[in-house]
Amino acid sequence: MKKCTLGWRMLLVACIVMAFSLPAWAAKTIKIGVIGPMQSLEGRDHWAGATMAADEINAAGGVKVGNEKMQIVLIKADSNEDKNITDASNAMERLMTKDKVDFVVGGFRTEAVFPMQDIAMDYKKIFIGCGAATDALCDRVGTDYKRYKYYFRGTPFKSSYLAKTSIMHLLACAAVIKKELNAPIKVALVAEKLAWTEGMVKLIQGYVPKLGMELVGTWQPSANATDVTAELSAIQKSGANIIFTVFSGMVGITFARQAGEFKIPALQVGINVESQKDGFWEATKGMGNYVFTMNTYVQGVEQNELTKPFMDGYKKRFKGTPTYTADTYASIKYNLVPAIEAVGSLDSDKLVAFMEAREYLVPSGKVKYEKNKDGVYTHDLTWGPGYLTSVGCQWQDGKLVGVWPNNWMPDPKNYPNLKITYKGMVPIKLPPWMKKQ
Amino acid sequence: MGLVIFYVKKLFKIFRNEVLVLPSRVVVGLFFIVLLGLPLVTQDPYFIRIIILTSIFAIFAASWDLLSGFTGQMNFGHALFFGVGAYGSAMLNIHFNIPPWATIPMGAIVAVLAGLIVGIPCLRLKHTYLALTTLAFPIILLGIIIALPDISGGELGMTGLKRITESLLGNYYLHVGVFLVLAVIMWEITDSNTGIIFHAIREDELAVKASGINTVFYKLLAFCLSGFFAGIAGGLYAHYMRIAGPSTLGVDQSFTVVIYAIFGGAATIYGPIAAVFILFPLLEVFRLWPEYRMMLFAAVVLVILLYMPEGLIHWIRDKIEKECPRCKIRNIATRKTCRICTANLD
Repeated sequence: MKKCTLGWRMLLVACIVMAFSLPAWAAKTIKIGVIGPMQSLEGRDHWAGATMAADEINAAGGVKVGNEKMQIVLIKADSNEDKNITDASNAMERLMTKDKVDFVVGGFRTEAVFPMQDIAMDYKKIFIGCGAATDALCDRVGTDYKRYKYYFRGTPFKSSYLAKTSIMHLLACAAVIKKELNAPIKVALVAEKLAWTEGMVKLIQGYVPKLGMELVGTWQPSANATDVTAELSAIQKSGANIIFTVFSGMVGITFARQAGEFKIPALQVGINVESQKDGFWEATKGMGNYVFTMNTYVQGVEQNELTKPFMDGYKKRFKGTPTYTADTYASIKYNLVPAIEAVGSLDSDKLVAFMEAREYLVPSGKVKYEKNKDGVYTHDLTWGPGYLTSVGCQWQDGKLVGVWPNNWMPDPKNYPNLKITYKGMVPIKLPPWMKKQ
Repeated sequence: MGLVIFYVKKLFKIFRNEVLVLPSRVVVGLFFIVLLGLPLVTQDPYFIRIIILTSIFAIFAASWDLLSGFTGQMNFGHALFFGVGAYGSAMLNIHFNIPPWATIPMGAIVAVLAGLIVGIPCLRLKHTYLALTTLAFPIILLGIIIALPDISGGELGMTGLKRITESLLGNYYLHVGVFLVLAVIMWEITDSNTGIIFHAIREDELAVKASGINTVFYKLLAFCLSGFFAGIAGGLYAHYMRIAGPSTLGVDQSFTVVIYAIFGGAATIYGPIAAVFILFPLLEVFRLWPEYRMMLFAAVVLVILLYMPEGLIHWIRDKIEKECPRCKIRNIATRKTCRICTANLD
């Protein structure tokens, strides 16, 4: 009797377990791998954006593939790519062969994304890069389309466009200085001593004189410098009224703080990754006021109707402002899912043909994929008015506000009436100590 | 037929008397069999990839041991040879379209030259000074690579390299085969007269000089040999990963190899190899706990180094084998008397 009772109990437990797990077996899923350096902000935002997208889509019933609805399942892969390239490639191989994902989004460091890209292409899986800006990643698609056609750039736009945008920001700041101070523009170039800044330094050095501005000098402190007073006093002596910064490291905080403390009479513009973060104001003790940098998302700025819902959703869930790597959200929600639903299949070749020809809105603008000079798709993002431009933002009294594009005239010669302004833009402010000069 | 039976019997006798008598030799034999037979059990691409990369890093770690473990010339910039091998082979492949089977040994020869370039100025240096000087060389080369992007690919590295073969099994047997052959060669070098001189240089260089041995030649030879093997590893790595990037010259690459060697036990060749075969796959196992992955890895290394300062393999070997106090021959730990001279082992 006792044995029989135990047997029945076991059977009952088995039935309950099976009943509860039945929906999970019955429903087919779409597996999306999210790969990135998960111990750093960039990787965490890869994951945050992807989870937001998956949760929203699953809550709405899932993805309609042909006649059936499928739920999205995300697989997190810590690439550790900021420290170890081999590790990153192993993580990608694991996604492909162990986790058997259908698609991958993410990637950050270019040197790691190259081998990751190769592995994804070996398995003919669509990989949407959401972090590395190097042109060569998409140039490969154009030159060997058959092999690399499964790679798409999700964010940011390519590095040559990043440089182009920085020049636009420089011109916008120069225009304000000319208007308010009526002074000739003198530019000091300050770039951290890292490999990625070399191209940017050469470009700015070549471009500034062509724009009718004077380049007073180039300074290259360490990316982790804790004191830049020597550089700042030299810049002050040079009479520069614009400091063009190219910073990704902690020197961005040091430089902004000390420039604020010494009240250097110049406007900082360019790229300062630390100033894109919410904690910049506290980190510089408010001395980072008036620092201008390029960014993808700024609270209060709307590139289109999708920006606000995304920003609000992100803020509600993750308490902050998304960085550009959170665009895994757009890659899943506005790129992959609509394509799967339209094609009605998870077949990579069919999806690629559909995806590359699409034009669609994402929270940071509008996506259209580029072709190279031979007319072959490179799957790179189109830059410019009506598409993706990024946002220029400035710290103004404790708040990061959008200042560019604000009445930006991209082509005054051919289109004198074309002016671009995103909702929520405010004018660029000069530090008051510049005006007292 | 009789001759064949004679040789088979002789081989079996050698196997019984030389291999089966010591657990460490049995383990090495099993290691060879398992590695060569693994694809019969599984052909999982992820697993195969991990073993291939483990084999490459095992060559790299053993090459460090050959130089620093045996001759005591502490090299903290061993990534130089790995990077030179990787870049040398990549440049030949990309710029001259030479196939990988030729570029890898050619890259290794370039790494030998790098060994000479590093070895000559380092001849007068010892200990900390040598370690710090060697540390500087990969950083210098990295600067040159960044400064010449048209030739070296700059910060992005050289991409689009060809693999030696696209076949999964082909890649496995090629990399594992090269690893096993190079490991045996390195072991043979250390077991030869040259190896004894390397040992002696580490223990007392003055005494070696006094014996009429040209220590300058042997120290340079160690640099060149080590450079050659690390260069092969670098070339294999670049072609397998299809990229030769600045990370191949990274400081962390240099330190990782030191960790492998110390973890397994320096001046053994097999110690660093065993360490790579334990630690590299272990890091993959730790992906099950992604948040704690690197912490767990560090904890394992720390615990081993704390309780087994001579290295894990030394420790295990001392537990399962005993050295005869009279003839210095190793015996299984369960024996009471030496298998050669019958001296008492306890």
